[in-house]
Parts: sequence; C-alpha cells; structure tokens
Amino acid sequence: MKKIISIAGMFVLLFVSQLSFGQDINEIVNNHNKAIGGVENWNKVKNIRCEAVLKAQGAEVKMSMNMVDKKAMRLDISVMGMSGYQILTDKAGWSFMPFQGQTKPEPMTPEDVKASQDDLYIIDEFITYKDLGKKIELLGTEDIEGTECHKISLTDKEGKVTTFYVDASNHLIVKKSAKRSVNGKEFETNTTYNNYKPANGGILLPMNQGGDMGEIEFTKMEVNANIDEKIFTPETAK
Amino acid sequence: MKKLSLMACIMLAYTVHGQTTINSSLFGIMEARALGPGTTSGRITAIEGVNNDEGKTLYVGTAGGGIWKSTNAGASYKPLFDKYCQSIGAIAIDQQTPKNIYAGTGESNMRNSVSIGTGMYKSTDGGDNWKKIGLDSTEHIAKIIIHPNNSNIIYVAAPGALWHDSEHRGLYKSEDGGTTWNKILYKSPNTGCADIVIDPKNPEILLASMWEFRRKPYSFESGGLHSGLFKSMDGGKTWKEISNGLPAKPFGRIAMAAAPGNPKKMVAIVEAKETGLYISEDGGESWKSQSATLNVCARPFYFSTIAIDPKDEKRVYRPAFEFAYSDDGGYSFSTASYDGGWVHSDMHALWINPVHTNILYVGTDGGVYTSLDRGVTWTFHHALPVAQFYHATHDLKDPYNVYGGLQDNGSWMAPSSAPGGVGNGNWNRLYGGDGFWTIPDIDGQTAYAEYQGGNMARINLSNMKSVNIQPQKTSQEEKLRWNWNTPLVTGKKNPKNLYTGAQYLYKSSDQGRNWARISNDLTTNDKEKQKQEASGGLSADNTSAENHCTIFTIAESSIDDQIIWVGTDDGNLQYTLNGGKQWQNVSPQIAASGIAKQSWISSIQPSQFDKQTVYATFDNHMYGDHLTYVAKSKDMGKTWQRIMHKEFSGFAHKIIEDPVNKNLLFLGTEMGLYCTLDGGENWFRMKNKIPDYALVRDLAIHPKTHDLIVATHGRGIYIIDDIRAIRELNAEIIAKDVHMFPMPDMVMNNGKFGWGGPEVSGAWGTGNAQEKPSIQYYLKERLSSEKAMVEIYDADNHLVQAIPATGRRGINRVDWNLRGVPPKVAAGSTKMDGAGFTAPMVLPGLYTIKLKIGTKEYSTTMNCVHDKENKDLSVTDRKLVYEKAMQLQALYSRLSSTIDSITKWQNELKKDSVAFKKSKVAAQKFDQLEKIRGELMATKQTSIFADEEKLREKISAMYGIFCTMEAKPNTTQLQAIDDLEAEYKKQENSFKILVADKS
Repeated sequence: MKKIISIAGMFVLLFVSQLSFGQDINEIVNNHNKAIGGVENWNKVKNIRCEAVLKAQGAEVKMSMNMVDKKAMRLDISVMGMSGYQILTDKAGWSFMPFQGQTKPEPMTPEDVKASQDDLYIIDEFITYKDLGKKIELLGTEDIEGTECHKISLTDKEGKVTTFYVDASNHLIVKKSAKRSVNGKEFETNTTYNNYKPANGGILLPMNQGGDMGEIEFTKMEVNANIDEKIFTPETAK
Repeated sequence: MKKLSLMACIMLAYTVHGQTTINSSLFGIMEARALGPGTTSGRITAIEGVNNDEGKTLYVGTAGGGIWKSTNAGASYKPLFDKYCQSIGAIAIDQQTPKNIYAGTGESNMRNSVSIGTGMYKSTDGGDNWKKIGLDSTEHIAKIIIHPNNSNIIYVAAPGALWHDSEHRGLYKSEDGGTTWNKILYKSPNTGCADIVIDPKNPEILLASMWEFRRKPYSFESGGLHSGLFKSMDGGKTWKEISNGLPAKPFGRIAMAAAPGNPKKMVAIVEAKETGLYISEDGGESWKSQSATLNVCARPFYFSTIAIDPKDEKRVYRPAFEFAYSDDGGYSFSTASYDGGWVHSDMHALWINPVHTNILYVGTDGGVYTSLDRGVTWTFHHALPVAQFYHATHDLKDPYNVYGGLQDNGSWMAPSSAPGGVGNGNWNRLYGGDGFWTIPDIDGQTAYAEYQGGNMARINLSNMKSVNIQPQKTSQEEKLRWNWNTPLVTGKKNPKNLYTGAQYLYKSSDQGRNWARISNDLTTNDKEKQKQEASGGLSADNTSAENHCTIFTIAESSIDDQIIWVGTDDGNLQYTLNGGKQWQNVSPQIAASGIAKQSWISSIQPSQFDKQTVYATFDNHMYGDHLTYVAKSKDMGKTWQRIMHKEFSGFAHKIIEDPVNKNLLFLGTEMGLYCTLDGGENWFRMKNKIPDYALVRDLAIHPKTHDLIVATHGRGIYIIDDIRAIRELNAEIIAKDVHMFPMPDMVMNNGKFGWGGPEVSGAWGTGNAQEKPSIQYYLKERLSSEKAMVEIYDADNHLVQAIPATGRRGINRVDWNLRGVPPKVAAGSTKMDGAGFTAPMVLPGLYTIKLKIGTKEYSTTMNCVHDKENKDLSVTDRKLVYEKAMQLQALYSRLSSTIDSITKWQNELKKDSVAFKKSKVAAQKFDQLEKIRGELMATKQTSIFADEEKLREKISAMYGIFCTMEAKPNTTQLQAIDDLEAEYKKQENSFKILVADKS
C-alpha cells in the first residue's frame, strides 16, 4: 500500500514545478513560472493524461495516469503480466494491487486520503501557493547532484513542509522533498527531475523523474485530454 | 510563437558555462558509506526531548558527530547538523514551540581532546534547517536556557576558550530570540560561565556559576579566585556573589540544579580544595555541605551534570563516572545496576521525561542509554554511530578489514564488506581503554593496539588474546615519556618493521618481541613541560593526557626503509637516512616557513614518488591557534612551502598522497576533509555524504580496492569506495562536455556475498561496497532537457541491453547487471511471474558501451572475464549454464506467445457477448482453450498464501535457477529442462489441434 502511494506521489510530484535564479523569493518564483510556460498557460490546465515506464536492467513496469485538477487521479500499473491501479479523489481512495496479494480494491484509510490530497493538484505549486495559503521561504542555496540550487520551502496551513531545489541557472526544479506524517508514521519522499520538454498547452514538464523506486520516463503527455471520470470509481464500488 | 519561447527556455536550461569549478559536487555520486560502529558509540554532550509528545522526540548532541534526532524514542536516529560544526556543547528546545531548537557548538567537557565550536545556531523547523545566530568566538558552550514564559529570552553559558585568554566568554542573554546578544556576566579572560539555573516560577531569578580554567599542552588548571556562584534577581541586570555555606575559595567548576517543582530546593557540585555536594533550601541564598562520595565528586571539570526529578525533589541524579542516584535529597547515593550488561562510564548529559519521570536518557562517553526505572537499569541505543576514532588503517585481505582506536572505547576492527552489509555485529573489539593506533601485521593473524600512555600489545586475532609489548627504559635512561596517543606503526617499505616512540624511537623486526632503540631523545626535552604530576588544578588530573615532549608521529619512507621521519608534540621534525644512526632536525626550517615552532607534528607523508619530498601537517591549537598548517618540502626538509587555501578550516590532522597520482592529495582537519587534484594548488572540501565539517583524524587509501578510508572523531569510519574516477580526473577531462572513463576488467559473478539477512531493528548498518565496477562518465553540465541512455553491445554489435542513465553534473555511475533483456511475460495470470525480471548472464568477451545523449554518442569498451576464483564453475560449465538458461528463456517466450494467442482467441469468441451466450460451440471452444491456458500458467490462485504452480511457474523456477547458477548444473537439473520442453510440447500440440480445427 505504501509503495503504491509513493508511486502515485512520484507521478504527481512531476507536475509540481521549477524555479529560477534570483536573490529575492518573488523574483525566483516569477522566473520559475516563466520557465515552465507561464502562469496563464498553467491556469488553463484542467487535466493531464500520461504514460510512463520504469526500466530496471531490461525489465519494465508500465504505467498510465489520469488526473483531473483538484478532483481525482488514477494510476494504472502493469507488472509482469498483471495489472493494478490506485484511485484517489477529493473524498476517497482505493487501491487494487493484485501483485501485492490484493484480490479486490481496498479502500485507503481516511488519514491516507487526507494526507494525499496535495497529489490532486496539477497546477504548479509556485503558481498556487498564495491561493492555498501556503507560506514560502527561501532557505538559501544547496548543491543538488552537482547543480547549485535555490532551496525553498512551502508550508501549508497544517504545517506540512515541502522543500524545492530550483536550478539557479535555468529556474527549473531539480529536486523536491516532502515530509509527511501519516497514521503515526513519518516518512520523507525525494524526487529528482530532468529532461524537461514542452507539452501541449504551452507548459514545460520533466519527462524523467527519479525516486526511491528508480527512474520513471514519461513517454506520452497530454494536457486537457478527454478523460471519462467514471474511471475514478473502482469496479466494485460502481 | 509560444513554442518558440519555450524552446528558448530549454536552451537556457542547457546553458554551457565557460569554466567548470572543481569541487565536491563533481564527485557527489561517490557517496561514502558510514561503517559505524553503532555497537559502541561516542561521547554524548547533550540530550533534550520534547516534553509533550510522550517523549518520542529526542535531540542528541555529540562531542564530534553533530546533532542527531529521533522521533521514536531512540529506535532510530538521523543526523541533523551535517553542514555545520560537529562539536556540540548544548541544545535547548523551546517547549512552547517545540520546532524551535537552539544549538550551542563546542562541547564544554574540557578534556585534552575537546573540539571547539563556531557559535550558536537556531532552527525553526525541528532541525531540518539551521541559521547561525552569533557568539561565533565563544569556542565552548555549556548550557542554553530559554525563559519559560517568553521564548525570545535566551541565556547562554559559555565557558569560552580552553587554550587561550579570551573575552568571548561568560553569560550571554538575548531578548529577541537570538538575533542580538548581550554579555551579562563576565569576570576575566580565563573565566567563563559553566552553568546557569533559572527559577521556573520566577524567571527573573538566575543562578550562574563562573569557572576559571586553562589547559596547556602539558597541564590543566581548574580553579581560581574568579570562579564563583552568582545570583541575579532581575533577569541578569545585577548580580551578587553567593558564599553562605559554601567552602572557601578558590573554586573550580560548579554544576547545579533546581527542583522543577520547588525551585527553592537546589543541589550543586562545587569543585574546591575539598569538592563536595551542597544543597540549598532557599533558592541558592545559602548552602549546606551534603555529600562527598567519590561517585559524586570525581573529576568535576569533566562531569558537570546534576539533576533533580521533576516530580520528586528528594530524587537527585548525578551522572558522572557512574550513574549515581539519591532518594534522600543528595545525602546518600547508590549507583546504577549492571543488570542487563555494562553501562558505559563517564556521563555528561541527562534528560528526564517530565511527564513520565521514570524514563531517563543518559549520555556517556560511549553513547546513549535509556532507563525505564529511574536510572537503576539501562538499555543501550545501538543506532548512533558517533564513535571517535583517532586513527584507522586496513589489512590486505578480501574483503579487507578496517582497524582503529576510539576515544574511551578501545580498539576495534570490522570488515569493509560482509554478507548483508556491515552492521554492528561485524565489529570486534581488540583492546580496551582509550584506543589509538590499531595496526594489522602483514602475517594476517596479528594486530597491534594500545591504550593511553603507550600501553601497547600484540594481539592474536584468532582469539583476541593480547601480550604487552611496551618497551621499557634501561637503568641509564630517563623515565620514558609516552604520549597519550603514542605512535605505533608498521613500515611502508618494509611492513615487518614495527615502530613506536617515547622520547626515543624504537624499532622491532619480530612483532614487538624485541626492540632496538634507534635514536636519542628526539624531543626538545623541555623540563618545564614535564611536570604532569602537578596537573589538574584543584582536583588532581593526570591521566597521561598531559604527557609532553614525546614522539607523536613516525613515518617510514615507502621507497627506502632506511629513511624514517619522526615528529614530536613539541615541534621537532627529524629524519634519518640510515635507519636511525644519525638524525637531522629540520624544525628551524619549518619555523622559517611561518609555522609556530612549538606546533605538534600531527602527520608526516613521505612522498611515494620521490625520496626528497615530504608533506607534513602541524597542530598548534593547544596554544590557541586553530589555523590549518600544511607544508611540503622537496629537499629533505631544507626548505618548506606552506600549503594554504581559503577553504581550509580547523587545525590539521593528516595529509596523504595518492599512491598512483602524485597530484592527488587528501587532507583531514578538525573541520573537514579536503582534496586537491593539482598537487596542492587548489583544494575543495569533500562532502560525499560526509559531514561538511567532519573531524577527520586519519586517512588511508587501500592499494587494491582504491577506497578512501576516513577515520572521524565523532562519526566513526567512512569509506568512499573506489576513487579511481577522482584519480583520473584532470583539467583536460574537466574541460570536455562528456567523458567516458575506461572500464577495468569486469569479473563475472553474482557478487562476493550471499544475502546475509537484514540488520535487526534499532541497530546501525550500512551497505557493501559496489561489487562490480560501474560504467562511469563525466558530464560538464546537468542534463536538464535531454535524456541519457547507456547501451551495451556484444562483439557482433547486437544490442544486449539499454539502461536509463543519469544526467547529473560531474561523475555519473550506471550499473549493468551483465545480463540481457528478460523475456516477455504473458498477461492474464492470477499471479506475478519473476521470469520477467531476469535474464541469463552474458558470456565473457569484449562489450561496447555507448552513452547516448540526445543525438550524440560516446563509447568505451568493457572486457567481461570469467571468474577464475570460482572453482565450482569452469569456462565450459559457464557456457553450458548459459546455453541452458537461454534454452529456458526461449521456452518461456514460446509459452508466453502461445498464451497470448489463446487469450486473443478467447477475446475474439467473447467479443460479441450476446452471440457468445447463445453459441454452445463457442462456449465449448472457449472452455477447451481455457483448459490449455490453465495448464500453461496459474489462473486460479486467489491468495499469495495459496501457491498455484503450472507449467509457466515451473519453467520460471528452473529459469531462475539457471540464470543465477555459479556451478556446474547437476544431471537432474538438466533432465528437468528436457521434461519441461516435453510438457510444453504436449500443451502446444493440444493448442495446435484446436487451431487446425479452426481452420
């Protein structure tokens, strides 16, 4: 269950931006927002559909994901001839991972659902943080994978902290760290981003992201796709 | 148009900078492994817990390992302070806003080996991020108190500098949360503030103890007339000295505590001519002598903690040489039980859970312990690797062992790799006391170790039995002067030579059974520095730590064993060219280079490339000079060139020269690990998952594995595995956009070790060294907008495997598992099949590695060679295993293909669901297909605990065996393949009959 959440989290983290050089936090945010395609284009994003693959020494795990901003997301995973999925909405969540022994969709705990709500936000966090009442803070610079980065934290109303490392030269996010406490357990997720490419709709997205599970490569990205929202209900719950 | 602007962004993202700066970030991928140990730890200087979370959140300050945080009451820890000074004096939590943490750097347990700090730090997010907030020059901080009702008011007790006069000491107060500071109590340049107590009920009332002290390289003085106990009733604006009931001055160090529930009730350990415990019933106005037992009063300069139970003012705790507790307000004391095992002596920190006061955490010279019964019995925390090494070296075994000696925790050894990784259970203790030099003999069965003052032994590694081998003085000689950290080394040219030194140099060629004195007194023999019996001040303290005018460093040339260099703790650096017959003192020439003449010679590195060249480090911190002194001579010490760099900080402990690249040097100081690629012109601070300001005491490069071994005084042993990429990097490579490093031969096996099992919970462990060389390449810039792939081709230029590659700036590593692509797995099963995760190991041969970045391609070759060490697998066997594994893979693929065909046909039959329900023929056909499908793979399994095994699962299991086989297969295994082929053929024929019927 936890692994599935982290996979979904990694996917979602993808859509969460990058930054830029500057001495002032507002300047950094503005440069970042420009670098990823601009606030105007991002505000037009209503949903995203994507396909991805995780490769490890010749073996492949194929994934697809559908996200509707602030409402729902579904991650489908195909591993060694078996398929599973995870669904998260603004009210509930389910997981069906037969390769982990599950024989039917199982509900997420209310705490997990609540803790995962950030994953439903598609629009870059540096565009939405003010509207969501998050506090932003420039913590200095730090070397991430050889690149000098601005270290910036966003703290939401409940005190959850997410730290972004923004390439000081091109304003794109290199790494994101999120600390979470769910069901009495504290954990930290770290995701790195590279291979930024333009998607339709005029926004820039990282096509490769690395995390605890390995590196995921996105093979297809479609912004504002035609998504049937029935997919956000598991078969047995329909 | 918009797309154009996006492209511009992408181009910007891939900006190529004109010049690449060489720094640690280029080598960031080469992360050090923290070997531990966790089975023995290091000196703990502060423990604080968050009061209202059931005591789960702890912050632990250490003498040389930074700050560690646990959120589970000590089951696991993580370091919080790796970017800053590692010596911690005090920690305070703002209990009203527990994410606000203050850390005072520079511990105040003023022993000879104590490290200095760099001031006060503050975190507002529970320790994730820190900001320096001043008091930079205090060097040592003993306590931080936060006003209980006003979080902006902070008091800091700073004993101040140990080795020199300084006005940066005393009691400081901030009224703005640490932004600005005022010194509110000060006595003299050699008197600091050792302790402070605040009345929780009336926080305007403060008691502070002032302490006059001074350490010199050869003595310690605790006590003076400026020491005293002072009280303020107005938040520190005015003070009065307290004397009523206290012993006659001079005082030394005073530690004190007030009962949290009744602050009028106080206890204090007062160091005086007759040190004792004093109690007060009136908030410190007057005192009464209460106790003077040894376990309470011993070494007051070193044991400065005393506490009263928050709920029981009669319960007094005195963590000191042992853990002592009193139930009668300090009149009588018991010591903790050893039920459950030994508890490390020498205690410096205590946190009592104020909600559940039976729960205590104590910090000792050997780690943290928890008590659930008010200090009677204790449980050790095994996951805190803050051991304080003085030296470390290695043997030449495979895997090699690391050896080293620890402050107050003896001498140890551990393998550099082990099945399952290196954990606490892999560490073995060789010897006791304070451990220093711990050296393996070339015979592979013997080691040498010592404890303080030159008490050295030869140790049989098969049973750890030891024999004392310390040379003794003759009747014609002066008393031998052994340094606390006496050198004990083997020869670099002739490893059978064993050397040690008092004021004379000794050499043994028979493992210490016999010694030859091969020098006269090589020190200054300054009698004024040899009065250790008078050391200590008010409390005598002479534990060999103050021994002086001794030999401290010995180095035999790796080119000529007749050339021996010797350095002393009083500034002499001497060498012999004839095995000790004559000696030449070059200390005047060193002084001429600007290095203080009395500096300790902390390390000597004779060059491995040139007899005339030597590097040395110098330590003058015991005279209050903490600068980094490094120098090089190219003419046998006649002239010296200082090696300086703006990045250096902390006095120097060790310099080493790479055995292959003479321009590659590593330097360890009291505050960091440094590297130069150009012979010392330019240096950078190495991070590599090592604390930025680690106390690096010793360094070694293993000649076979090319590992850099780093001994730290506070974070145990680190190993940076295989530094050949650093060794090979030069200006020409750095100027390239991309460089692929040549690959060493790849020995083909599944690794050196079996699984080994996981480390148990609550313990420290680390992974093993990389068992196969990585594909390594250098990128001048990060790949922000391009993808990198590594492709492996065989000799026939067939693609064997494609691996996603990293795109970080600097050195990148990609690992190939020496296998091809796993077979396709058919869909539709009720269980996952592992065959899709593995492939047979390729055959030996020359493979081409191509790194593809965008449209550009870079290549190198890799020679994969048969593992000759494996006597269970000949080259012929390997070929047989490979052929059979490939046969099974082909069988598996055919089976998958058949299953896919069946599934496809079944889907066609059901495509029109209405027609399907009406057609008995279709239903019959579907069932016939399902029967075959059900024989070919598991289709009915409903639980991972009810295993269903069909043909695919059988093939997969055998395929897995052959893919990992490192021995000649047995006949039953070979027969099993034929049986599986036959079984598949049977099912395939059944399917073909149905297909034939269809057509």
